[in-house]
Order: sequence, then structure tokens, then C-alpha cells
Amino acid sequence: MKLVIEQLLNGLTIGSFYALIALGYSMVYGVMKLINFAHGDLFALGSYLGYTLLVMGTAYVTSTLGIWGGMIAAILVAAIGTGVMGLLVERIAYRPIYPTGRLPAVVSALGVSIFLQNAIMVVWGARPQAYTSDVIPSYMLNIGGLRITVLQILILLLSFLLMGVLYYIVQKTTFGAAIRASALDRETAALMGININLIIFFIFALGPALGGTAGVMVGIYYRRISFIMGWNYGLKAFTATILGGIGNIPGAMIGGLILGVLEMLGSTYISTPYKDVFVFLVLILVLIFRPRGILGEKVAEKV
Amino acid sequence: MNTNNKTGQSTGIKIKNNWFAIVVSLLFLLFPLVIKNNYFIDVAFFFGIYTLLGLSLNIVLGEVGLFDLGHMGFAAIGAYTTAILNTSFGIPIFVLLPISAIAAAIFAYLVTSPIIHLRGDYLCIVTIGMGEIVRLTLINNPFGITGGPNGVFGIDFPSIGNLLIIDNSVKFYYFIWVAVGLTVLALIHLQDSRIGRAWNCIREDIIAAEASGIDVRYYKLLAFVLGAALAGVAGSIYASKLMIVSPESFSFMESCMLFCIVLIGGMGSIPGILIGAAAISLFPEIFQTFAQYRMLIFGAALVLMMMFRPGGVWPRQRGKIQTESILVKTGKSEI
Amino acid sequence: MKRIKNIFIVLVIVTLCLSVNALAQKDPVVIGLQGPLTGSAAVEGEMAKQCVETAALMINEKGGILDGRMIEIELVDDAAQPRAGALAAMKLVSMREVVASIATYGSSVTQPASDIYEKFNKVNIAYGATVTGLSERGLNYFFRTCGRTDTQGIFFAEEVVPYFGASRVAILHDNTSFALGLAEEARKALLDAGEAELVYFDAITPGESDYTVPLTRLRETNPEVFYFTGYFSEAGLIIRQAREIGIDAVFVGGDAAINEDFIRIAGLEYAAGCYMTQEALIQYFTNPEAMEFKEKYQATYGTLPSSPWSVYAGDALMVLAEAIDKTGSTDSDVLVDYLKNEMEEFPSITGPIGFDEKGDRVGTGINLYVVNDDGSYSIVER
Repeated sequence: MKLVIEQLLNGLTIGSFYALIALGYSMVYGVMKLINFAHGDLFALGSYLGYTLLVMGTAYVTSTLGIWGGMIAAILVAAIGTGVMGLLVERIAYRPIYPTGRLPAVVSALGVSIFLQNAIMVVWGARPQAYTSDVIPSYMLNIGGLRITVLQILILLLSFLLMGVLYYIVQKTTFGAAIRASALDRETAALMGININLIIFFIFALGPALGGTAGVMVGIYYRRISFIMGWNYGLKAFTATILGGIGNIPGAMIGGLILGVLEMLGSTYISTPYKDVFVFLVLILVLIFRPRGILGEKVAEKV
Repeated sequence: MNTNNKTGQSTGIKIKNNWFAIVVSLLFLLFPLVIKNNYFIDVAFFFGIYTLLGLSLNIVLGEVGLFDLGHMGFAAIGAYTTAILNTSFGIPIFVLLPISAIAAAIFAYLVTSPIIHLRGDYLCIVTIGMGEIVRLTLINNPFGITGGPNGVFGIDFPSIGNLLIIDNSVKFYYFIWVAVGLTVLALIHLQDSRIGRAWNCIREDIIAAEASGIDVRYYKLLAFVLGAALAGVAGSIYASKLMIVSPESFSFMESCMLFCIVLIGGMGSIPGILIGAAAISLFPEIFQTFAQYRMLIFGAALVLMMMFRPGGVWPRQRGKIQTESILVKTGKSEI
Repeated sequence: MKRIKNIFIVLVIVTLCLSVNALAQKDPVVIGLQGPLTGSAAVEGEMAKQCVETAALMINEKGGILDGRMIEIELVDDAAQPRAGALAAMKLVSMREVVASIATYGSSVTQPASDIYEKFNKVNIAYGATVTGLSERGLNYFFRTCGRTDTQGIFFAEEVVPYFGASRVAILHDNTSFALGLAEEARKALLDAGEAELVYFDAITPGESDYTVPLTRLRETNPEVFYFTGYFSEAGLIIRQAREIGIDAVFVGGDAAINEDFIRIAGLEYAAGCYMTQEALIQYFTNPEAMEFKEKYQATYGTLPSSPWSVYAGDALMVLAEAIDKTGSTDSDVLVDYLKNEMEEFPSITGPIGFDEKGDRVGTGINLYVVNDDGSYSIVER
């Protein structure tokens, strides 16, 4: 039993990282109908930005702000940095291409992804880097025989907090209604007086910012970062988005968590190398029998 | 070649550029006789492979507009079928070419039947998943037949007894480009046929197509099956050239590259595919000197391409009567 | 029409670039280096390039070879992909001035590449390809300065496991060519030795961050020795996660698992007390060639190479330079004959090198090392 809880926590932890990244995909897709392949690499960028602040500038930051202060600073820097980068990418690589159709936008997104990934490699080197121990708190707890680190709890709390805030904004505020309206039908929303540019600004700043935050958290929790991590996490997060129902923000969160747990189940009961196969199979089955995803809305087909 | 339809209007490829097609064909024919460097000939060989793969994806993505990002999975099936059957049973490569095509086609039929009704982006993620499932399964060496990460090696050269043995760069070059040539001819005819028009109709407006009595499900499946068969052939030829197949050659990134070939060249455009394949396969070799910055430049190039030529370098030309040509020129196509 | 013109212009420019690229130079002795400069193994390619250039510097500073001819390196990227590997090999083979090649990293890339070198009678020395089967194909021109996985596997089963008096062994790999090969050899050797029991054998997926699930399963099998045959990038994560969830077993890493980066990623508190079966750890070598190499490398790049394979590439260069110099020839068959029959205990960076009939390296010892509390390594006396 204890084992199951332990594994469940692990699954939820990695699931919450997928969820945070998936949110960015979902928001962008929902409104712009664009699969932002570069999103995963923005997540990686976030973890590298945090790394630069903490490890490369370590003496200054940690001594002035302490370990916890350092972490918060890293998250802020990463979030702002990736948010800005997300906006830049939108302005330079996507905006000129929207009018011409969806498929060219996909190729452009692929191009940006390749560019970003290799840019990270050129700037920070091809060697995997690590958030070193001196910038990370490491208190272990022992609750009834379960070994959990304070870090794990904090990360879960922070992720859920962020998701909760976003959920609130999207579901309960007028601005959120505007986002949902734009996701439903962008042109009509604009006709209704919704400031589409503001919406776009929001999703392309906040989505990557969430991803960047996840990046720092992944760096702190797992410690190792490499320039190719964006690709891997990005694909998983994209899968989570579809699982939850693409364009649906609470769906992205749930999709991410479920994906994390699914991976854990697959790895435990089937076999570690085949776990990704298992996850994709589940995805395909879900899509066959419930094509709109778990929370997706049924879109009426005009005939 | 007369590609006019019954009312005398020009459809398909503009063959008033006939002389151009002849010049290009001559260039391809004479290339290895002029350039004696094996490296360049090999690069041209892989250019041919990518062209064949691009043409196979073109059927699915370009003609029908189905979002397929896992196409290398089909090529992998073809390549591994050839590899395994050849090394285990000694079956000659020429016999294995159609067998690999059929294997890939059957695989495509089985896996796409349940999901063929999915809308664009969902289809996308499912095809990604399929491609990954194929690759991951190959790495894990089920039943010990796929060789795991090392792959299968020791594949023979294609040969018909002692008459025709394809065992050097030049011969492989002609082999692949003859295959490409035959494929192009077949595809041009397909474009003009009922099937081709049904495909394009489905791409442009699926509901209207259905309402006009087109069996959408049948035509979509047909596209996948044909596309997979062709990819299987490409994989097969690739296997016998390299003499080894391994899972890395069939990654998600490779499927993305195929996708780019079709988009860069121009959806549904056969000359465009050629150019797209050239761009994708020659680019890394040309920019070898830039080493690490190579991929950086490549990524930027993709973005720039879409900015300035979103319809592709050589968009599909259509008869002047059809108003959709305006849409094609600007690259707009709703999925 | 304009489009056609544009395409033609591009083609012309492209052809010009290519021809400029291929201009041959007569004076220096050109050695080819094939490696992954881009892609997921980019770090290995980059280090290999640095090692080979350092080795070349060492030789050139002393006046070069063949009476004052400098060594020049021709670098080709193969992105750790078999197809690109074949193309890279073909490129080097087509360049007439390239005498021999150092190629390459990754067994599945080396396979097609070495086939091409063989076909065109060019000496090729692999530096990061340890799958046993590579030298069992009866090739004449294929060599390697790295070891083979079977030697290491046998060492693990026959020396390491009994050293710890263990009866329950867990083996974990990552499904890459090298790690899988080593894991299988270790498993086979364990079976042959018949003493200890293999209680866990599985693979992780490289590139991910969370291995707690398979590690938890490993923990439940209660092993006494835990052998990880994958790479340092994952090894660092694995040891930390393993310890955090309560795995007490002795941790032994394979050839590619433990180095500076491993210590950095795992953190010293977890890295100390880890063992490894290791061939060439540059930090440990104190022979004069190694010292000189380390000094020069450190001076140029500020750190030491973190993998054994890149250092083997440097060895390969020194071996080739020596063969060319001593035979006074750049003919492949002459070189093959010298390398296989004449070269004995040539002092290279990683110690004495010779080659056997199959092209495998003679003269590597595998040792058991332990990481000390301060991050240095020591050999464990058996």
C-alpha cells in the first residue's frame, strides 16, 4: 500500500510538470488553432535561465536571498524570460503566417523549435548541466514510513496553485470568458468587441511563462537539464493536451496529471521500456472511443 | 504527354513546360557520368530516397490533406520487413520490394481504419503516436527479431541472378531515380483520375465531398494504404543500400522532415516535392562547414520559407477556370 | 520562368560552394574525423573533436611527421545517425587527401561507416563503438582504440561481484547500443560464473528525468549490487533517486556512467562511494603522454574531457601518426600491416596500445574504481 502511494506521488509530480506545459499548448491551440511546437523548447529555455541565475551566478544570488529566495528569483526570472521569448516568437514567426493557413504555421513552429533547441545548445553547450546541491534545499520527511522530500510537496503545491489560479481566471472571470469565446470562434469574438490582440498577448506570454516555471521546477527537482529535454517533455505535454481535450484548459491540467500517472502505471505493471508505447496506445484508444478527449466539448458539425 | 481533360482544359502539371521536364530528366540521367565523386552520388541517392518518401507522404498530406506526422513508421515497416526476411531467409531484395510494400500497406490499413474519421489535429497526434510506437517497439527487440538498438545488418544488394547486381553508388543512384520516375508517372495519372479528384475534393471541403456521394472513408484509407506502400518501397531500397537498418533512422524528427518536404515543395505538387526533398536532404550536407550552426540555420530557414512562400516553392498549378487556384497560390487550405 | 531562373542561380551557387569545399591541399597529412557534432550525442562529438585537435597539436608542436608535415584534421558530422554516418564515411573516402579516418561514435553508426571504409580500402579506427560484433565481421581495415563490451562484462561478473561477496545482482541499462551490449554481456557472464543470482534486469528511457518507478521496483528485489551500464547523464539522476528512495545496494557504473558530470549531477554526497568498471579515465592516468595531453587540453578548454571515448579518439590520432611516421607511407595496406603486426605497446594517452588480428585493441586493462569523498577516484585493489 505504501508502495502504491509512493508511486502515485511520483506519477502526480511528473504529471503536474506535464500539466503546466500542456496548459501553454492548450491555450495557444484553443485560440489560435496552432500547435506551438516551440513550446517544449521554451520550457527548456526556462530551466536554463534558472540555471544561469542560480548556478552560474550562485554566490551572489544565494547569499543575498538565501536558498528559498534564490529559487523564487529563478522562477521569476525564468517566467519573465520565457514569457518575453514567447511573445517574440509569436510576433516574428507566427503572426506573419496565420493568414496563410494552418499547415504553414505548423512548419514554422517546427522551424522555431529546431532553432531554439540548437540556440540553447550553442549558448550553453551540448553537455547536460545540473542545478548543483548548494542551491537546492533538501529536507526529507518521513510520514508513516513514506519518504517524501519537502521539495516534492512544495512543487506539487506550487503547481496546483498555479493551475488553480489559471482555472479561476479562465472559468470565473470576464477576461477568461473572453479567452474561451476566442477559442470558440475567433472572428466572431473580435466582432463582439473582444480585444483579440490582448488575448493573444496573454496566451503567448502566460503559456510560455508557465512552461518556464515548470522548467525551473524540473531543474530543481531532477537537477539535470539538457538542450534536448524540450523535445521529450513537449511531445508528452502535447499528448496530455489532446488527452484532456484540446483547447480545453482544465482538460490540459487533468490530461497532464493522468498522463503522469499512466506512465507510472505502465512502467510498474508492464515494463519500463514499453511504457511510452502503453501511453500512446491508451491515447489512441481514448481518441477512438472518445475523440474529443476527456473534457473536450462536442463540436457540432455544420452540414 | 497530354493531360488535358475531356473539355480540353489543362489540368495537373503544366506540360507546356515540357522542355523543362526533359532538361531536368537529362540532368538526372547524366549526373553520375559527369560527377565522378562517390560522395556526391550517394548524396544524390539519398535525395532520391527522400523524394520517394516525400511523394508517398504527398498522397496522404498533399492530395487528401490528412495530417500525417508518423509517416516514417511505414517506411520502417518496409525497411525492417526487407531486412529481416532477407537476413533470415535469404529472400532476394527484388522479390522483397513488393512484399515490403504490401506489409506496410497492410499495417497502414490495420492501424488507420479505426482512426480514419478523426479530425485534422487529432489525426496528427495519433499518427505521431503510431510512429513512436513503431520506433519504440523496434528498439525493444520483440521476439528477438528486430535487433534492438543495433538494428539488423548484413542485408544483401538487390540482384537478379548474375545479370543485374546493384552494388555500387552509381547503380543505386539509377535504381532509386528509375523508381522515382516510375512513381512520378503513376502519380501524375492518379492526379488526373477519379481517385485523384476525389482526394482533392476531400481536402478542399470534406462535407461537400460527402454530400456529392464520394465514399470519404474509402478514399482516405486508400490514400493511407498507397502512401504506406510507397514509403515501404523507399524503406526497402534504403535498407539494401545501407545494408543495415536501425530505429534511429525512423524517428519523429524524420517524419517532421517529410512533412516539411511536402509543405516546402507545395502540397500536391510533384515538382515541388522534388525541390522540397532537395532542400531537406542537400541542406545538411552543404552546410557541413558550419557544424553546430547548421541546424540553427535550418530552423530559421523553415520559418523564412513559410513567411515568404507559404504555398510552397512550386505550388500545384491548376486550370485557370478553377477559382481555387487563387487559394492555392496563397497557400491557404482549410483542414 | 522567373522561378526556374531563381532555382538555377541557387544551384550554381551551391555547386560553387561545394567545389570550394573540396579543394585539396597537398602538404599536410590529412586525417579524417567522423563524429556526432549535432544531435543528441553532440557532447561526445564536441569532446572527440577537442581531444583529436589536442593530440594533433601535441604532434605538430614537435615538428609533425614524415619530416615536417603537419597533421590536419578533416571533420565530418554524422549526428549519430546511421545514414549520416554512411554519408560522412563516403565523404571522407572521396577526399583523396584523407589518409585514414577516426570513426566513429556509436556502434550502429560505426557499422555502416566501417563497411564503406572497408569497401574503399581505408583504415578506420573507431573510438566509441564497443559492440562485440563489430570486429567479428572479418574486416581488414577496421580498428578500435576502445574496448569491447564482453571484456567488461566478464570483468564485472568474475571480479567485481565476488569482490563484494554479493549473491543478488540487479542490472539496469538504457536500451542504447552500448549500454544494452554491456548489460547483456554482464548477464551472460553472470550466468556462466554461476555464483550470484540476477534478480532484476530492465531498461530505462534516456532523456527523461524521473526514474523512481523502475527504481522502486528494483528496490523491491533487494539486490546487493546494482550495475548501471548507461551514460553519466542518467547515472547521476539514478544514483540520487535510488538513494532517496532507500536503495542501499552497492552502485557500480559501467564505462560511460561515471565522470565529472556524473558527480556534478548527482551531487558529491551521493557520488562518493560509487564504483565503476572503467577502462580509460583520463584523470587517473599519470603516464607522460597523458600528463601532456591533460595539460594542453585543460589550457585550451578549461576542463578535462568527461567521457572515455573522446580520449580514445585522441589515441587513434596518435596511433595513426605513429604508423605513418614509422612506415614512411600513407598506403592503407602498409598501415594495416604495421598496426597489426609491428605496433606493440605504443605509448598513447591511455597507455600502451597494440592491435590484434581483428583490429581490437590489445592492452587495456579494466579496473574497478571508487569515487572518493572529495570527488577523486582510486583504483580498488583486488
